[in-house]
Order: sequence, then structure tokens, then C-alpha cells
Amino acid sequence: MTIATPLLEVRDLCVAVGDKPVLKGISLKVAPGELHVLLGPNGSGKSSLLAAIMGLPPWRVTSGTMFLDGTPIDELSLFERAQLGIGMAFQRPPSLEGVSLNSFAKSIDAHSDLDQAAERLNLTAFLQRDLNVGFSGGEIKRWEVLKLILQDPHLALFDEPESGVDLEHVKAIGTAIQQFMARPDASGRQRAGLVITHTGLILAHVEASHAHILQNGELVHSGPPTELFQHVQSHGYSVPLAS
Amino acid sequence: MSDTTAQLSGDTLSNAERKTLMDVGFDDLSQRAGTSILVDRSIKLTHSVDPGVEILPLNEALKTYEFVQDLMFGLVSADANDHIRMIAADMDDPLGHFVWVKPGAKVRLPVQTFTLMETPQARQFTHDVTLIDEGAEVEMVSGAAAPSDVHRGQHISLSETYMRKGAKCRSVSMAHWGDGMEVYGYSYSHMEGGAQEESLSIALSAIRRDENNSVSTLMENATSVAQAICFAPSGTHRIMKSEIVLAGSGARSEDITRMVSAGGTITSDALLIGDAPGTQGFLGCDGLKLNKTGEIMAIPSLCARAEGSQLSHEASVGMIDSDKLNYLMASGMTEDAARDLIVQGFLSLDDAVVPDAVKARVAEMIVQAKSGGM
Repeated sequence: MTIATPLLEVRDLCVAVGDKPVLKGISLKVAPGELHVLLGPNGSGKSSLLAAIMGLPPWRVTSGTMFLDGTPIDELSLFERAQLGIGMAFQRPPSLEGVSLNSFAKSIDAHSDLDQAAERLNLTAFLQRDLNVGFSGGEIKRWEVLKLILQDPHLALFDEPESGVDLEHVKAIGTAIQQFMARPDASGRQRAGLVITHTGLILAHVEASHAHILQNGELVHSGPPTELFQHVQSHGYSVPLAS
Repeated sequence: MSDTTAQLSGDTLSNAERKTLMDVGFDDLSQRAGTSILVDRSIKLTHSVDPGVEILPLNEALKTYEFVQDLMFGLVSADANDHIRMIAADMDDPLGHFVWVKPGAKVRLPVQTFTLMETPQARQFTHDVTLIDEGAEVEMVSGAAAPSDVHRGQHISLSETYMRKGAKCRSVSMAHWGDGMEVYGYSYSHMEGGAQEESLSIALSAIRRDENNSVSTLMENATSVAQAICFAPSGTHRIMKSEIVLAGSGARSEDITRMVSAGGTITSDALLIGDAPGTQGFLGCDGLKLNKTGEIMAIPSLCARAEGSQLSHEASVGMIDSDKLNYLMASGMTEDAARDLIVQGFLSLDDAVVPDAVKARVAEMIVQAKSGGM
């Protein structure tokens, strides 16, 4: 694919956790308006790629580089990357006892948006609840999407947004993600995103533009999302023969 | 009914005194059912506007009501230890508050009592007696403080609280002493059948040594839910010893202590005794260290003596979880902002019972502690 000005560019990225390499020479470009799907078996490096882009420890870039809207982000801290416009919906976020949705929203100066956004995700009754404390799987995932709506990132990373969620909630989460991705950020810029899915259920509700298969820390194939997911369902995470 | 209303002009308390007291929960007298303020070695003000509440200096109450002599040292021996012996030396002319909430009174506004130490290097010995009579209901706010220019001194206090049958009390107490002071507090309470207590105590400011010892006895079906929040910046040493005796069948208690060290040391030594059948009790001690110095020690102890007494405890002490910090920072917060949010959440200061001024003060102290300003 050819992209003139990608929002995210990952060039030959190698990442390790401790001494163990988890990503080996990943290259990827994501343009504004695009939503890329990451497919792959457990341990293939999907979550590691999102964590490395976000800047989460203990993932450590050993070589290669990453750019957000042309700006190198390798040397930026986690907080600085978030401030620059990267946001992430966590797969398994921690519980924060005593920190309510309300107080979180105030802390990131997004309190004025909270009521409306919470209503869209059916989380109005949770505003006084502590973050992720006693939440069901579906409630955690809805909160993670609500968190991104409040944060308003330019690049959104979704780590398995539908895992552990019943079908009804997958639709609600997928619809919310689609609406969020389709809406420009506060500066009027088109968003872009990366989403990890195991089940592929989310693909029925979001308009993904590209899909990639990862194996053993390498990006081994890219293609149209629906076609590639059908291949995975029939043949596992193998490289399609036509490629 | 005590009526010193004539003294209650704006001159009764100086602006500086008001400011000091507001840090520990003081509100305008019109917002309180009763008020008592002790400054240095005398009661400066007592005031009650609710016929269900009687507030007097303890020495005056001793002369006014015959039963008060039986309440004084009714829960602890006057010879219990050196500190209490020092307080008992003035047994016939004690310095302290006497609060009596009369039988069946449903007091609408809170009752507030405060102790101030305005003279540097003073030694203050106080003895408070509180009687919440049968079926009475009240909310109480109490505070102890020294103004910002008083750094050193010693305060030793004894408090005896009686809750008669079916009495209900919700209370908040706050302390803000000088950073070089030594404070020793002894609190004893006796809850008769069906009495209910819900309390929150907050100690946040830097202090050289702060020792609190409490003993609570709960009779049949009495219930107590107590929370303590304390903060220890560098140079602060806090020791909290408590003993809760579930002495009557069906008595229940929940005692939660949350400790934050920013370089200071905190010891929480809590003993829960199930002395009657059908009693239930829980001790929770959680400690959070903000940096590598300082120490938090949690010692929860359980002693079941009666059949069917169910007692449990949970204790955790550690640094801030890096996963939580990273999670918040990934949403765009600085590390400091993320830490503040976690600490304030840990301390549960969203609780409606905590006055806004106190919440703001806690946030300020956390910032000061990090910057080494305390």
C-alpha cells in the first residue's frame, strides 16, 4: 500500500521484553481514516505491537522507529505519547479502588463530555463507581471505549475489545467504536486505529480497512479484513497461498 | 442547656483561630447544633442551640450533674499509665469538653468540639466525656489543631464516650498538629445494646510523634463501622493501637485503616476480640508507600473466645502499583497527576462525610509531601 502521509508509521520495529525478542522487524503504515485489524495466534506479538506504540513498560524498542504524524515517538514517555494523541483501550485494565469514572474524567479535563458519552455506552449508572472494580467483562470493554471517547486520541489502539463479551454487548461496543472512529477528533482531524481481534465478531460492526496476520513477532501477511478473516477461520493463521 | 450565646460575637474567635479550626472541620455556629472550643488551658466557648444537646466545660459539668463523676474514669482506671495519671492529677478540676445528647433526642445539625494549642512548647492535658443517651441520634465533628506558627508542644488527651441503648452516632474527627509536636491520645468507648456508631478519623499533617490508643466495647447487637485515614510525610511517626471487644451477642464491627507514607513511619496494631456468641468483626489495614523511605507496619490480630464468633482481617502494604500508574498515564496524565488520583482514591476521600475543605487539604498535602515541602 502507498500512503503519502501516514498518521502512524512503524519502520522495521524490533521490541523485547527483558532479553526476549517479541517483535522482529515490523513495518506498518496507517493513514488517517483507516482502521487496521491485527490477527494472529496467542503470543504472536499483537498486544506487544500496541504496547510498544503506546510506550508501555516493560516493552522495550531494540531497533527500528515509529512516527506519529511524522513525529518520531520512540524517545517519548508514555504520558507524552498520550498527550501527542495516542490512546489505548486495554484488554485487561487494572482496578482502581476509590477512583470513580467521574473523578477520572475530571482528571483528564473531560468531565463536560462524560454524561453524554456514558449514556451512549449505557454506563450512566456507573459514573460514581470505582474504575473496573466489580465490572463485568462487557462493562470493562464499554468503559475502555468510553475512556477513549473522553481522551479523544488521534490514533486509537483497541486490544481485543470484544473478548469475554456477549453478542449483544459486542454490537454495542462495535457500534460505539465505529461512531468514535468516524468522528473527527477535537482538532477536526480524521482518526486512525489498530484493533486486535481473536473472534472477528467486531468486524461485523466496524469498517476495517486493512488486516494483518502476525506470527512469532513478524507481520507475515496483509490484506482486506473480511477476506483475511475468512481465511483464518478456514485455514488458521497461515499465509494465504495466493500471496 | 448551656447558654453562653452572649459570648458568641465575631470577637470570640480570632480570624486566625477560625482559619486553623476550619482545617479540622469547624463550621459556623449557625450550622451546628452545639459547639465547644478549648484553647490552651481553658474552654473558650460553649454553645448549644438544640435543647437535645448539653455542652459544658467538664469541670462545670462535674459540679452541675452528679452523674458526671461516675462517667469520669468509668472506662479506664485513673492509674492506667503515666499519661493518664497526669490527666487524673486534675480529676477535681478537669480541662475538657462535656457533651450530653439527651435521651431520645434526634439532633438535626452536627455537634462540634475542638481543641486548640496556641502556645508554643506548652503541655496540654485534656479529658473529654461524651454521653449519647438512650435512643439519641447525633452527628459529631471534632478536631484538634495548632496554628501554623506553633511547631512544638505536647498534647495528652483522654476521651471517654458512652453510647446508651439504641443510641446512634456518626462522627468525623480530624487532627492537624505542629510538625515538631508530640501527641498521645487515649480513647475509650462503651456501646450499650443496639447502639450504632459510624466514625471517620483523619490525621494528615506532619508530626514528630502521634500515638493513639483506643479501646471500644460493644454490647449486645451494637454495631460499629470505623475508618481511619492517616498520612505520614517524612519525619512523622504515627502509632495507632486499637482494641475492639465484641462483648455482647450479635455485636458487629468493621474497622478499616488506610495509611499513606511519604517517608514517615506508621504502625497500626489492631486487636479484635470476639467475646460473645454470634459476633462478627472485620479488620482491614491497607498501607501505601509513596517512596522508598519510611515504613508502614500493619498488625491485625484476631481473638475468638466465644462459639460462633466470626472474625476476619485483610492487610496489604506496598508501593503504588505500576500497572495502575501506567494505565492512567496512557490516558494523558502526568505521573504526578496519576499518583495523586491513586492516593486520593486509596484514601476514599470522595466519601460524602468528608468536608470539602478537608479533601482540598489532603490534595495539597500530597503535593507538598512529594515536593519535600513538609
